[in-house]
Amino acid sequence: MTFSDDRPTMIEFKDVHKYYGDYHALRGINGTIKAGEFFSLLGPSGCGKTTLLRTIAGFEDISSGVVMIDGKDVAGVAANARPTNMVFQSYAIFPHMSVAENVGFGLRRDPRPKAEKAKAVAEALEMVGLKGYGARAAHALSGGQRQRVALARALILKPKVLLLDEPLSALDKKMREHMQVELIKLQRQVGITFILVTHDQEEALVMSDRIAVMFEGEIAQLADPETLYRRPNSKKVADFIGTMNFIPAEVLSEAGDKVEIDAKGLGRVTIDASMAPPAHGESPVVGLRPETLTLLYDDQKPLERETDGVIDEVIYFGDMTYYDVYLGGTDVEVRLSMRNVPGRPVLEVGTKVRVAWSPSALVLFR
Amino acid sequence: MAQTPSTEARAGLKLISPPALYAILMLAAPLATVLLYSVLTGEKGSVSLPLTLDNYHDLLTKPVYRALMWRSLIVSFFVTLATVILAYPIAYFVSFHVAPSRKALWLFLITIPFWTSYIIRVALWRTILGYDGIFDSVVMGLGITDTQPNILSNGVLSIIITLAHAYAPFAVLPIFVSLEKVDRSLLEAGQDLGESRWMTFLRVTLPLSLPGVIAAVLIVFIPTVGDYVTPELIGGGKTPMIANLMEVAMLKQRDQAMGSAIAVGAMTIVALISVAFVLWNKRYLGGRK
Repeated sequence: MTFSDDRPTMIEFKDVHKYYGDYHALRGINGTIKAGEFFSLLGPSGCGKTTLLRTIAGFEDISSGVVMIDGKDVAGVAANARPTNMVFQSYAIFPHMSVAENVGFGLRRDPRPKAEKAKAVAEALEMVGLKGYGARAAHALSGGQRQRVALARALILKPKVLLLDEPLSALDKKMREHMQVELIKLQRQVGITFILVTHDQEEALVMSDRIAVMFEGEIAQLADPETLYRRPNSKKVADFIGTMNFIPAEVLSEAGDKVEIDAKGLGRVTIDASMAPPAHGESPVVGLRPETLTLLYDDQKPLERETDGVIDEVIYFGDMTYYDVYLGGTDVEVRLSMRNVPGRPVLEVGTKVRVAWSPSALVLFR
Repeated sequence: MAQTPSTEARAGLKLISPPALYAILMLAAPLATVLLYSVLTGEKGSVSLPLTLDNYHDLLTKPVYRALMWRSLIVSFFVTLATVILAYPIAYFVSFHVAPSRKALWLFLITIPFWTSYIIRVALWRTILGYDGIFDSVVMGLGITDTQPNILSNGVLSIIITLAHAYAPFAVLPIFVSLEKVDRSLLEAGQDLGESRWMTFLRVTLPLSLPGVIAAVLIVFIPTVGDYVTPELIGGGKTPMIANLMEVAMLKQRDQAMGSAIAVGAMTIVALISVAFVLWNKRYLGGRK
């Protein structure tokens, strides 16, 4: 799941700042995006992810710092001269044109003869699954079709970087999941760098080679999806990506690459130093994902570690059941998820249970 | 849910009956009267049977009618052209370059010319354009010419200038509204796809604002064809337009039948041109949902 580091750099940010009047929208962005990478900018609304995308596109001037695209500083380079194309959140389909006119919009100055351009348009439409739609009026398309037109319109220009501003947020759930897979396939097919802006952490995890998680104008963590999910570098990132239980803890000792802690309800446990990201000066807590905790039924042997608990809440999802459990006679409540398989009945509130967990799944935040 | 469709329809009819009655009495009835008068014979302030098409025969064959109709259309054409060309940049500026919170104020300011009576504005244009008037003094003061241009002596040109000034605010509003409806991300998309600002304007903004432009054209064109006051006041009646001819027929010659025929003729021509514009408009409106 790791993205090869030997790929050339496509985009580089060096201490990028952006102010809107007094508002500090981007607060020192650093990082690189590799050529051919599916990269996501993930964060809550107002975190600056769209602003960062627009600085790449050339729609926003930066206040200080450097943005490099393919090795060139793009300061002062207008949007129409950058090797980037964008799929807008609203898709920005020209309503007064046909589908083919939309897709061919950027080919006006292309020196190729008309017939070849028409062929290129037809090919681009076929690539996004809209073969034969060229003559349709753009305003008569559905949301998913509009998005495909926007994709074809951008990709026909063979940009070095394709920018996608929340492209799936306007689609319904089924369509969104379908388009996620289509976009991944399309990116592999054309091989160019895709940069996706999204507030949907699941979407970012599914689609990206690497993800930059942004809060308040800063990149909090830049990593591949698995690292981001399993070893978030702060409580904030852990909380934003998926669900995580936080349990108050005390650091007893640190020696070499081992950290010994005492977590409330779990007891003493030694974890690897790699699971203890740099301190932020907060009171220490350990994080545990719901799926790393398991309810033990009577016939089951204990796993690595085991703690007693009482079920406080049962949330039934069909394929899964979520349990909120008080750990070991304390007021520490954790959420855990169990797959509903035959022979494992859904338990009731108040049932006394054994909870198994693995020390290797613990992340320490402090 | 107690209301059936028919009671709803009845309630609706009751609601619209006062304006409907007003429309029938004040618009439809006079129009029908004019249509009827135009096929009667008029003499000494009264009309009489039998039905005849003589008035229309005169209208089509006597050169004075055609000449004045042409003048009206040409004046209207240039007034419309000048108005829309002046109004578009104003509407564009207010829509794209004025902060949203100030747009209402700007539109309010654009209506300021209406605070003065039209008669007074026409009188002011006489002062500006007349012999040794403000325009002449400025032009001569700057040494551009040695003789007074005296624009007022050119009846058609002074009528066009006066009317274009009077109708400019009417044209700004529909164009402004259509520009407001243009999704701003379309302009970014145009530039993102490699076009300059100017080409994006030509390929995206302008076609999308055409419905507003056409509305402005209609709003200016229709009333200016039948304008009566301006030729009367600005040229002292020496450069009459079609409406002045109607007045002569109706009130001076007391031939209401002929006056009605002129009115119907002018109305027909304006209607035909307007319908052509509306159809053109529809083509572009069809492109927007």
